[in-house]
Amino acid sequence: MIKMVKIFIDDKQLEVEEGLTILQAAEQAGIDIPHLCYHPAFPPEGSCRLCLVEIEGIPELELSCSTKVREGMKIQTKSQKVIEARQGVLEFLLAEHPLDCPFCDKAGECKLQDYYEEYGLFDSQFDEYKEKRDKKVKIGKNLILDRERCILCTRCVRFLREVTKTQELGVFKRGIKSEIGIYNGFPVNNNYSGNLAEICPVGAITDLDFRFKTRSWFLEKGNSICPLCSRGCNIQIEYHPGLGRFALPQRVYRVKARQNMKVNSFWICDKGRYGYSYLDKNRTSKLVRPNINQKQDINWDEVLDYLTAKLKSLYFMNKTSQVALVLNSWLSNEELFLARKIFNEDLKVTNIFFADLPDEEGDGFLLTSERSPNKRGAKEIGWAYVPFTLEALAENEINCLLIFGSFFEQLLNPAQLKSALGSIETKILLSSHRPELESAFDLILPTAVIAEKEGSLTNTEGLVQGFSPALPPWGESRAEWKILIELAKRLDINFAFYRRLSSPELIYQEMAEEIPFFRKEK
Amino acid sequence: MSPKFSAQVNKEIEDIIARYPKKEAAILPVLHVVQREVGFISGEEEKFVADLLEIKPIKVREVVSFYTILNSEPRGKYHIQVCSSISCSLLGAGNLISYLEKKLGIKVGQTSPDRKFTLSTVECLGACEQAPAMMINFDYYGHLDEKKIDEILEKLE
Amino acid sequence: MNEKVLTQHFDLKNLFQIEVYLKEAGYQAVQKALKQLKPAQILEEVKKANLRGRGGAGFPAGVKWGFVLQAVDKPKYLCVNADEGEPGTFKDRYIMSHNPHLLLEGIIITSYCVGIHTAFIYIRGEYEAIALRLEQAISEAYQHGYLGKNILKSGFDLDVYVHRGAGAYICGEETALLESLEGKRGHPRLKPPFPASVGLFNSPTVINNVETLSNVPYIILKGAEWFCQLGLPKDGGTRIFAVSGLVKKPGIYELPLGTNLKDIIFKHAGGMRNGHKLKAVIPGGMSAPILKADEIDIPMDFDSLMSAGSMLGSGAIIVIDEETSMLDVLKVVTKFYSHESCGQCTPCRVGNSWINKIVTRIAAGKGKKKDLDNIIRLASNIKGNTLCPLGDAAAMPVLSIAQKFREELELYIQS
Repeated sequence: MIKMVKIFIDDKQLEVEEGLTILQAAEQAGIDIPHLCYHPAFPPEGSCRLCLVEIEGIPELELSCSTKVREGMKIQTKSQKVIEARQGVLEFLLAEHPLDCPFCDKAGECKLQDYYEEYGLFDSQFDEYKEKRDKKVKIGKNLILDRERCILCTRCVRFLREVTKTQELGVFKRGIKSEIGIYNGFPVNNNYSGNLAEICPVGAITDLDFRFKTRSWFLEKGNSICPLCSRGCNIQIEYHPGLGRFALPQRVYRVKARQNMKVNSFWICDKGRYGYSYLDKNRTSKLVRPNINQKQDINWDEVLDYLTAKLKSLYFMNKTSQVALVLNSWLSNEELFLARKIFNEDLKVTNIFFADLPDEEGDGFLLTSERSPNKRGAKEIGWAYVPFTLEALAENEINCLLIFGSFFEQLLNPAQLKSALGSIETKILLSSHRPELESAFDLILPTAVIAEKEGSLTNTEGLVQGFSPALPPWGESRAEWKILIELAKRLDINFAFYRRLSSPELIYQEMAEEIPFFRKEK
Repeated sequence: MSPKFSAQVNKEIEDIIARYPKKEAAILPVLHVVQREVGFISGEEEKFVADLLEIKPIKVREVVSFYTILNSEPRGKYHIQVCSSISCSLLGAGNLISYLEKKLGIKVGQTSPDRKFTLSTVECLGACEQAPAMMINFDYYGHLDEKKIDEILEKLE
Repeated sequence: MNEKVLTQHFDLKNLFQIEVYLKEAGYQAVQKALKQLKPAQILEEVKKANLRGRGGAGFPAGVKWGFVLQAVDKPKYLCVNADEGEPGTFKDRYIMSHNPHLLLEGIIITSYCVGIHTAFIYIRGEYEAIALRLEQAISEAYQHGYLGKNILKSGFDLDVYVHRGAGAYICGEETALLESLEGKRGHPRLKPPFPASVGLFNSPTVINNVETLSNVPYIILKGAEWFCQLGLPKDGGTRIFAVSGLVKKPGIYELPLGTNLKDIIFKHAGGMRNGHKLKAVIPGGMSAPILKADEIDIPMDFDSLMSAGSMLGSGAIIVIDEETSMLDVLKVVTKFYSHESCGQCTPCRVGNSWINKIVTRIAAGKGKKKDLDNIIRLASNIKGNTLCPLGDAAAMPVLSIAQKFREELELYIQS
């Protein structure tokens, strides 16, 4: 039984859980109290002094980040006294802060800018010499520290002490000479270093990967789930929507963490943060028949008709044993479910394999050893995980090979693979990325990446998470679930069933009806 | 234990650490011993203390850089620390500092070329009734004037 | 005639040696406490005596001990605050170097009362000779059975250790002292929780000043009533006033609480040096707001000074004469706080350095008209908004000097 208390914030009556701080209670009520050193991941620090509020009955202002609510407490967050104190703190912060906004990467998402705009807008009275400090201290493989911008909130130090427990950063010297730094020879090179640039409220710690590349206000943001391991960390992808005719050097500029207390808390690992090049690089964008000199572009209808014809003829001749299907664990729950229903149940295809990136070592925190996001989903949907090997191809007389994803290339010897493919009549690849052995395939269908489609994934702990498109589609690529539904309708083995599954949501509901595991909350 | 310290000093350090329920609490007394023996806390000493107290070297440096008495660089044989706080200033500490600068040929913060003297100003030494006062290493001298300073420095080998 | 309590034996040669101390009826208070009194009785007596902290804050010692006495489930600690960093203060130095066994008796009785078995004397690093003397006294006490296991066959165990600081004024603040003792940088902690519940190594801790504890043996021997009538109704006992600055006889003067400041300066400390006129007095250590020459006819006690807009603080009296420039005083004051700021919280870290920069610029002849208003404004923004009392300690003298001596300071700006 959680005890509730009645409090007043800015004369607004609220009922909040006992044990919350004033700052947390205000946040719940949609009242923002400015703060810099406080971060929900750590106990209150109380050093920035920006979050001071007025409590009736107490002569001095109190910190809202660390003062717990009590029954009947009356708090003012915008009284004259509070605003004056807030401006006083802001003035102190800005006094020793360099006017770097024009070239600081944090501009547009800087707390100091935001608070000055909202509560400051006063002229500087500082007529002295600012402390001169180092502005380009490399503290980690991806991090640069600008000591002039640092406001000594110590979020970075506390992160490394409490979350990664690696303590690479410390505070040296005293008073106005205080500075953050590493111990020579021990830079911040752990797998969570990128979080430091995110939690730094100003542009003191910045990401080398983002340095001087663009401005935060040019970027659109989309929510997705990181597919690089099976943790399913919630991410935010930031991309440039483009400047019309002008080509940009990159589409996706940055990946940030999204808070999810059930999965990744406030963090993502560096693998996920910096491993976004797959979203833009080496993508398939058009339907391609590699070995035919195309005079005209082929379209999806033609391709689907061709595929349907191929599969249907084998089906009617009872020769679907000659079909081999290679799936992967980047496919969504819905796609893996459809694949089972269409190929396994309807077409009675038996040679179904999985080709995924090989396992690597996990890091004991967020990064798991599985390098794909949905192995658990595949398991729950009922797939027996049979790894794709050339021996398996050779054992069974395969004359039609359908491969989803380009991961198979990581597992097999290219020369052997090329020759194995050579002896198969029909080879079709559905992938988001161009394979090395492009010419070995008859037909390549461009598919979307998880960030560009809708669906759900099941993480290593069995948590099912839905996702929707964070990025616009690449070229002509399509989500695999769309392709499968179209294919299923054309195969006409069970048309009515597939016709009503017009969205991943509906597919999921059907899946939940058949498989109890998916009946829980997403 | 450190091979460069005598058995007696190593025992001294051991006894100090034994007083505290947590080893790292011994850091200040241990650093005092180390600085007494070595003269300053270099990277080598930081590592030694870190290993001894089972903490990371960065924590040692954080502590050393915070406290005025601990120094990470070698100082002269005699560290002359002149109090420049309120009572001593009222009694002419400023003039004595200038006098010392002239006499030693160095500015505050510097060490003489023969490495005999380092000159610093410090805050209140707690010897205000003897103002103006100074501390050389840890020895207090009060009721100073130029003549007395000459006498004191002359006696220092 | 003023009764001397703490300093009564200071003239005795070698009082710091236990043999001499014992001859002067030393350790009788410990005998009485451990053999005849129960901890609850001792607590009652100290509460009745109205013994207030002599470090600067003036918190009633008995009340503080009461909080810690209630805790039962963890080891408890006593930290003796011998950091004595407040400029102008040197009284604890005298107690520890002249009569260390008196302090030890106070430590033993206090620990016995509260149920503490480990005490640390946190002494400022500069006091190396004093620390050695304390260690010697402690060793003697162990040898004579006043420390260690089963003291005087009472069943009470106590270990006392000397822990030297390393040059940081902030470590005189009780939570920064705890941080420093635990082996970290001296960064003050947020309160609540208070040291009485979460102190040293997360355990309930009593932190008391040297002078405060040194009064305890006499309270035990002669009783709370006697102690009360030495001082004032709410402030029992005497205070050791450390007088320095431009007086003829700087030094310590043990006098009853409530003694007139003017008398202390002119009757006891010999009046002004060199026949100069008195200009100002800082009555309670440099952090206390300054008093002008016409404000020094005032009793030296907590309430009187508070009403006058200042504070008793550490009882350190610093006397300033007409020949002294208040700009120089302001410079020394702001230099101190900007040097001693730990740097943790924004207003103190930046504010003190900023004010010091302004004052330095004025002293270099480059003052501007708005400077004094800015100094006052900035100091007001520090006051009340910092994590620990150092911010107030820095802001108050600056405000009082800038306000009370504004005319003189403006002269420096105009010229």
